[in-house]
Amino acid sequence: MVIRTAPLRGHRQALEGPGFLARPDLQILIDLLREEGRRVIGPTVSDGAIVLDEITTLEDLPRGVGDEQAPGRYRLRRRNDERLFGFVVGPTSWKKWTFPALVPLTRASKDGHKVSFAPEPPDTAPVAFLGARACDLAALGVHDTVFTGTAYVDPDYAARRARVFIVAVQCTNAASTCFCTSMGTGPEVEGGHDIVLTELDAGFLVEADSAAGHVFMAKLPLRPASAAEQYGAAATVAAVRARIGDPVPAAGLHDRLLAQLDHPRWAQVAERCITCGNCTLACPTCFCTTLTQTTDLTGVDAVMYRSWDSCFSPGFAKVAGGSFRSRPRDRYRQWLTHKFATWWDQFGSSGCVGCGRCVTWCPVGIDVRDELNAIAPAVPLVPETKLVEPVAATPNDFVTARVVATRQETSDTTSLTLTGTDPAFAQGSTGQFAMVALPGFPPLPISISRFLPDGIELTIRGAGPATRAMCALQVGEQLGLRGPLGNNWPLDRAVGRDLVIVTGGIGLAPLRPVLHAIVAGRRRFGDVKLFYGARTPADLLYRDELERWAARDGIEVSLTVDRAGPDWTGRVGIVTHLFDQAVWDGANMIAFVCGPERMMQATATTLAGRGVPASRIHVTLERHMECGIGLCGHCQMGQYFVCRDGPVFSIGQLGDIFGREGI
Amino acid sequence: MTTHAAPVGARPRVGVVKFASCDGCQLTLLDLEDELLSIVEHFEIVDFPEATSSRSPGPYDVLFVEGSVSEPAHLERIVELRRRTRYLVTIGACATAGGIQALRNWGDHDAFRAGVYAHPEWIESLARSTPIAEHVAVDAELRGCPIDPGQLVELLTALTTGRRPQLRDESVCMECKRRGVVCVMVSKGIPCLGQVTQTGCGAICPRFGRGCYGCFGPREQANAAGLSRHLQMAGDRPREEVGRLFAGFTAYNEPFRSMVTELGGTRTGRTGTATGPAGTTGGKR
Repeated sequence: MVIRTAPLRGHRQALEGPGFLARPDLQILIDLLREEGRRVIGPTVSDGAIVLDEITTLEDLPRGVGDEQAPGRYRLRRRNDERLFGFVVGPTSWKKWTFPALVPLTRASKDGHKVSFAPEPPDTAPVAFLGARACDLAALGVHDTVFTGTAYVDPDYAARRARVFIVAVQCTNAASTCFCTSMGTGPEVEGGHDIVLTELDAGFLVEADSAAGHVFMAKLPLRPASAAEQYGAAATVAAVRARIGDPVPAAGLHDRLLAQLDHPRWAQVAERCITCGNCTLACPTCFCTTLTQTTDLTGVDAVMYRSWDSCFSPGFAKVAGGSFRSRPRDRYRQWLTHKFATWWDQFGSSGCVGCGRCVTWCPVGIDVRDELNAIAPAVPLVPETKLVEPVAATPNDFVTARVVATRQETSDTTSLTLTGTDPAFAQGSTGQFAMVALPGFPPLPISISRFLPDGIELTIRGAGPATRAMCALQVGEQLGLRGPLGNNWPLDRAVGRDLVIVTGGIGLAPLRPVLHAIVAGRRRFGDVKLFYGARTPADLLYRDELERWAARDGIEVSLTVDRAGPDWTGRVGIVTHLFDQAVWDGANMIAFVCGPERMMQATATTLAGRGVPASRIHVTLERHMECGIGLCGHCQMGQYFVCRDGPVFSIGQLGDIFGREGI
Repeated sequence: MTTHAAPVGARPRVGVVKFASCDGCQLTLLDLEDELLSIVEHFEIVDFPEATSSRSPGPYDVLFVEGSVSEPAHLERIVELRRRTRYLVTIGACATAGGIQALRNWGDHDAFRAGVYAHPEWIESLARSTPIAEHVAVDAELRGCPIDPGQLVELLTALTTGRRPQLRDESVCMECKRRGVVCVMVSKGIPCLGQVTQTGCGAICPRFGRGCYGCFGPREQANAAGLSRHLQMAGDRPREEVGRLFAGFTAYNEPFRSMVTELGGTRTGRTGTATGPAGTTGGKR
């Protein structure tokens, strides 16, 4: 233990604004709190997780330890720094100290015909919470309302809560399970604390928010925080907000959810839900309890205990004669509708603070965000997009377009921006293609890689004479077009679902408009993951866009190459290796896949293994096409003309002809 | 749990008997060192071979039955004991679920006998090991391998005070969470049956960093199929490996039984035992 000596403790000039505390000096705050007789509770590594427990020195904190969280999965990871709070919330919530799992409530005894009951005095030893996050503070606020904000006050909670001093910490990271932004509880700490710290590279920005907090702050060896430090702290928290996005649009959720009491999804989720109750006990706001009696064999002395209970346990709603919520689906519905809807009616707030504990600590990875988006989607499902009538539909006819820009994407691939196209092209849909022709060359089917208000973009790999001639076109030159042809990616069906996009090389071109559509309406979709492979780093298409999708647009982009150069620090190997170890619940997933047929087959198999149904794994097929409208016969595949009935098919549609040799 | 709440009266006559079992659950009774004097003060122990040589043909106010029905003679004996008993309480995984010996219910009984004993003709055993409740009505059961001393005391206390024993029917997870045990499945990827297993053990296995193997047996409405699907799909485990998780001390209780039947997992997987007579599995492909 580090003992600081008196000179650091003298009376200081009160700071006007935020102060800066060097990282080692956080020990002084811990010591000050302990000198007041407080047990300091904070994060510490135990059993492969960052739990909350009593701490006495800085060495107890998870220095340089981060966490990775996903539905049903939690792992620690080493950080490349010395940060003490470089993680998000773990399995423990602070209710362990304000609302313990097991509390003796009453001692009762029997003396002949007389009985007596004596309430147990609550534990009032003072504690300090070090490291509570914005969502944690919101959860304490929810409990304050539940236990002390209505007609009857819970004496045990009130006594415990009154002796808590809170040192909050701003979140400088987000987990994939975080959704405080949707619940309006974070990530910014904005009240309910005494002191708040924002961790920077060398220490902490310190601000006080209560009289007691100011008293402590005055005793710390602070210097005024510089403008750069203040800006850096704010920018870090703002980046966390951007990273989380808005996974569960909350507007109207109360009404939307309660309107869906008969939704078939309740039964579906009950097939996955084990009703183990982990979500409720990990939840920082769940407050249901049960009373148990312990007696000695004489039955003279008895103690009544209160312990955490769960609405998922079969006995929870039981009376003589049976349970009011006998089916698991009833219990899941009870929990979800209580958290997100009826809590508002009872307590004037959501019962969910968006901390994500129930998502991470569900052993089978059920994600409340998915269930909410599926049961009560924020945007109503729109009917399947009607495809625009193509122009120059028959093979004898062409309209012309003019090249206004060219961009060399890779050594052999060029994007042509075309204007002067028929308006039909601008109304085309993601995944559609055009037949593209130059005089003297055979017309070729080329996917539309971008839709513009007055044109389209085509991304063409110079694989043969015709494509090389197209790649060589200069600004101002013209070419012939027919289309847009074929069907589209079923984006409508992806609304409210998690979308997985798997592609390689030039295969990103027909999927690029999908990504543009997602970015334009990001809230309509769940998690979006893009897995993209190329032969070499130089063969990756649209590199600037890839970066933007990852950094700004909330799309999880994973790249791999077959052969790496010296500058490549990413993954090497085939694209399916990027996710064949992933722990996914595919039940709410939809997948769009474009690449060589072998790769699409491997991808489909892996996805099916994660529970993604065949009807929601979509591939786009490449075949020899000349007419593009099902008349020339080249692209037949079983009962389908790929140009007319596809090129996008679900694996379920294709059945066992998909990937079969010689079809 | 179908327990009568009527008290058993002053100093009820208690018997402890065993069927096919290891006696470990009876020993749990003897291990209640702090309570033993109080127990003999409140209960008259009339039959308890592990503890006393005195015997009683009954009747019993309370009879603790350990072990499964595994021999032809057991079939008549349990019916006779039931006739002489007011409250029949089964104790342990053998009595409540058929025990580990019920794994033979998926195998070839005659082949096992011939494989284990030099003179199989001297062995009288039934083709299946079955829980007591498959043969007679049971008033209360204490689960586990072995039973939990706390639950035993709770049951005895409930008998003397005439209240319903508070044996929670909930998942082992609830105990983990109340005790602050970090979930081994989420944090370490260890398969754990705690979600589908009845609590009562105090989550002893997860507390020591291992997965629950279900010795307390399936809890009410256990979604074993859901857990099995998750372990196979998200955990990427072969069917038989998942089946083997359920093929433990309580495998014969539904829904664990259906999981074992559907997925396999009762075989050892060693050469020669899995696919039939010796010689048929040899040879490299």
